[in-house]
Amino acid sequence: MEISDENFRVWAEKNEVYFDGVFRLAGPDAYAPIYSLISGLLHEGHKQVTFNLTGLEFLNSSGINLLAKLTIEARKMGDLLLVVKGTSQYPWQAKSLPNLKKLHPLVDLRLA
Amino acid sequence: MMDERSSKRPARLGSFRAKFILVVGGAVLFDLLVSGGLALWNVQRLSRDATLEVGQGLEAASQEYIRTYADSTAAQVSLLLRQVHNDVSTLAGVLQAQIDDPERNSDVGAAIARTSPGSVSLTYDQKANWSQNAPGSVSVVSVWSYLLGEDHNPRPDVQTDIQTSAVLDLVAPSLLQHGASKLQMYYIGSKERPIFRTAPYTDQAQTFDRLYPGHNEANFWDFFFPGLYESWQGWAKDMKTRPVADDITQTAPYTDAITGKLIVSFFQPLWTADRKDVAGTAGADITLDQLAQTVENVKVAQSGFGFLAMSDGNVVAINSTGEKTLGLRSASDASGSGVTGLERSLKGSSQPAIAKLALDRELGIQHLLLQQEGNEVPYIIIVKKLPATNLWSSGPVRQEAMSLGVVVPEREIQASLYAAQAKISEATNRIVIYQILAILMSLLIVAIAVIAASKRITSGISALADAAKRIQAKDYSVRVAITSKDEVGEAGEAFNRMAEQISYHTENLEQLVEERTAQIEDAKEEISTLNAQLQRENRRLGTELAVAERIQLMVLPLHQELEEFQALEIAAYMRPAEEVGGDYYDVLKSGNRLKIGIGDVTGHGLESGVLMLMVQSVARALQEAGNTDAVKFLTDLNSALFKNIVRTKIDKHLTLAFLDYDGKEMILSGQHEEVVVVRANGEVERIDTMDLGIPIGLEADISAFIKTREISFETGDLILLHTDGVTEAENDAGELFGIERLCREALRLKDQSAEKVVAGIIATLMLFIGSQKIYDDITLLAVRHR
Repeated sequence: MEISDENFRVWAEKNEVYFDGVFRLAGPDAYAPIYSLISGLLHEGHKQVTFNLTGLEFLNSSGINLLAKLTIEARKMGDLLLVVKGTSQYPWQAKSLPNLKKLHPLVDLRLA
Repeated sequence: MMDERSSKRPARLGSFRAKFILVVGGAVLFDLLVSGGLALWNVQRLSRDATLEVGQGLEAASQEYIRTYADSTAAQVSLLLRQVHNDVSTLAGVLQAQIDDPERNSDVGAAIARTSPGSVSLTYDQKANWSQNAPGSVSVVSVWSYLLGEDHNPRPDVQTDIQTSAVLDLVAPSLLQHGASKLQMYYIGSKERPIFRTAPYTDQAQTFDRLYPGHNEANFWDFFFPGLYESWQGWAKDMKTRPVADDITQTAPYTDAITGKLIVSFFQPLWTADRKDVAGTAGADITLDQLAQTVENVKVAQSGFGFLAMSDGNVVAINSTGEKTLGLRSASDASGSGVTGLERSLKGSSQPAIAKLALDRELGIQHLLLQQEGNEVPYIIIVKKLPATNLWSSGPVRQEAMSLGVVVPEREIQASLYAAQAKISEATNRIVIYQILAILMSLLIVAIAVIAASKRITSGISALADAAKRIQAKDYSVRVAITSKDEVGEAGEAFNRMAEQISYHTENLEQLVEERTAQIEDAKEEISTLNAQLQRENRRLGTELAVAERIQLMVLPLHQELEEFQALEIAAYMRPAEEVGGDYYDVLKSGNRLKIGIGDVTGHGLESGVLMLMVQSVARALQEAGNTDAVKFLTDLNSALFKNIVRTKIDKHLTLAFLDYDGKEMILSGQHEEVVVVRANGEVERIDTMDLGIPIGLEADISAFIKTREISFETGDLILLHTDGVTEAENDAGELFGIERLCREALRLKDQSAEKVVAGIIATLMLFIGSQKIYDDITLLAVRHR
């Protein structure tokens, strides 16, 4: 399953979701398909789900809202281990991703 | 109808059908010609080989046959002669025995005279002057005038001989009856008494008189066989003088005095008891016919013949065809004395090849050319020499070896060969003709098949071509008949469908145009409706955006509000993005307390505006309610907003930070962008707010996450608040403005008024962005300690 346009690409491989490129989608409605994709993966019954954001160059505030909501979703699942792989290469990641750990302390945030 | 038309379509040169026929026909023709040619060549070769083989075989066989035939004929002739020799020898033996035993001789003679007086009693013929016994006897005995006494009776010694010779009556009939076929057998007395006794009885003396006048006066031997008797007398003296070691002496053919036939006589001389002299002879005649029959019976092929020739070339036996073929000419012996000979010599032949023919040696098969009616005809001739005999012709006895010749026209001996060759040739010709017929037949069948097949194959294509031409000529009613289920059939079906569509479209073009026009009208109407809707929607969205922008700008603090503070100098700049963002800033004053807020709602549009309005309202309310605890302030604000977000289903949140100033302390709380502090001495501090809170509206209770931080704020210090619209503004190269650049600008402008700081930074920022799109709201606040 993959969602993409000329600037970005998001796809799932087994229990890992990859984000790539620049996300500047207009709002929650625009992010809805991505939300459905990842939310579906969270409910597939994996013990661990990884968000691989190392290729995610930019994510606008609506996109960050999406990640926050997904993190809250994962928190509700209880025993699901959420791993978030990020990179400090892109400033926004260092700025925004720690919030996810605040929302869900069990998130395994790996900023490389 | 189309099909008929197309089937009559001629196979034009260059048409598919013509090419098809040409290619297939050519291939078959080539194949047939090659195989046919090979077959013909082989048949011809076979025929040639067979002819050669058969020819050689037949020639060998024919020559062998002729050779064998000649051998066997020669054996037959020899056998015949030997039989005659034997008969003569038998008679001679009996007579010789009589001579050798005179006593028994006279007894036997007396006995015969007694029992057959006719055999010994002679009657004198006055007129002819000879004596002869009367007819009725077994043998006739003639006694010539010079053997008669005065009384016309035989001399006594002659009479004795008559009696003695009567023994012939006992032997001769039996010999004549059996053994070789003999004309007559006889006894001739010695030269002193040459009586002539012959069995069977004939009018012997009378015949002699008629044929040989004068014989009655001359000695028999000298008259008829001059030299013969003397030769024998010579032999009596010395047997070695015999030319051939045999007593039998043969005469050349002559005309028999008695029968008038051409005969050959075989004599065996009788000797006196003391063997010192000749005592007469025993003889037998055979007609030349008998020999000739054997020879003339030779029939090789159709006109092959045999001949029997004396060593001098005189041909004694030959049939008339042979005589003619060999060009022999008969001539009567003109010598006049003795028996009349026959002169028919090969040497006198009109055929030069025959005249030169050598008889003295056997040469095997010879090939001769004989003249026949002006043409030279090839003949095969083979000459066999018979066993040598003693021959008397005239004069002394000499050795004679007769030659047997077999002559066959080569043409006839080769006839079987020719026949075989003809058969082979005929068979070959027949095969050739059959082969040619077969080829022609095959060609015909193939031609018919190819034409039929091509017609079948190309009729579909031709029909298609014709139909296509008619469509070109705007006859859209045309359809092709589908006769096959192959690709051509499929093409035909497709063509028919196409033709139908063309027909339909052409015939219904006007109607179609009308329909299409109507459809287009409908579509146009629909489009204008949609356009109107779109315009309405746009208007609505535009209105919405206008409202949102209005709200955003409406709730911002008024300019004079910012100038109300003695201790602080505050300046702010906000520029909504094209699609109206959700930036928020506020300066709330309550008593001597000042609360400066800055935030950023996710997303754009009316909802963001409304959320921002809510934030502003709640913040004002809390401020007015005297909430001085920064943590509690944010917690309550979040709590109120979270509930409203759930209710309004506004799927958004916001970052939000506040600066609380009571104239002495500057307290920072809430999570937002970094706060930049430029000290009067030029130091730049960047204060991270990540640990001071969490975005508003995500969680119901965020009290656990809210922290405060005190910022020392002295005279001349400058605090900069901004939204990410500043730091994440992009230039043409996609480069971000960034926090460092912001800090540098702040440092550059630190000594200027807050108003100028903001204006300067914004000027630099706008220069940086250039023509690049502004993605997000840009908000910048500068707070300077006076």
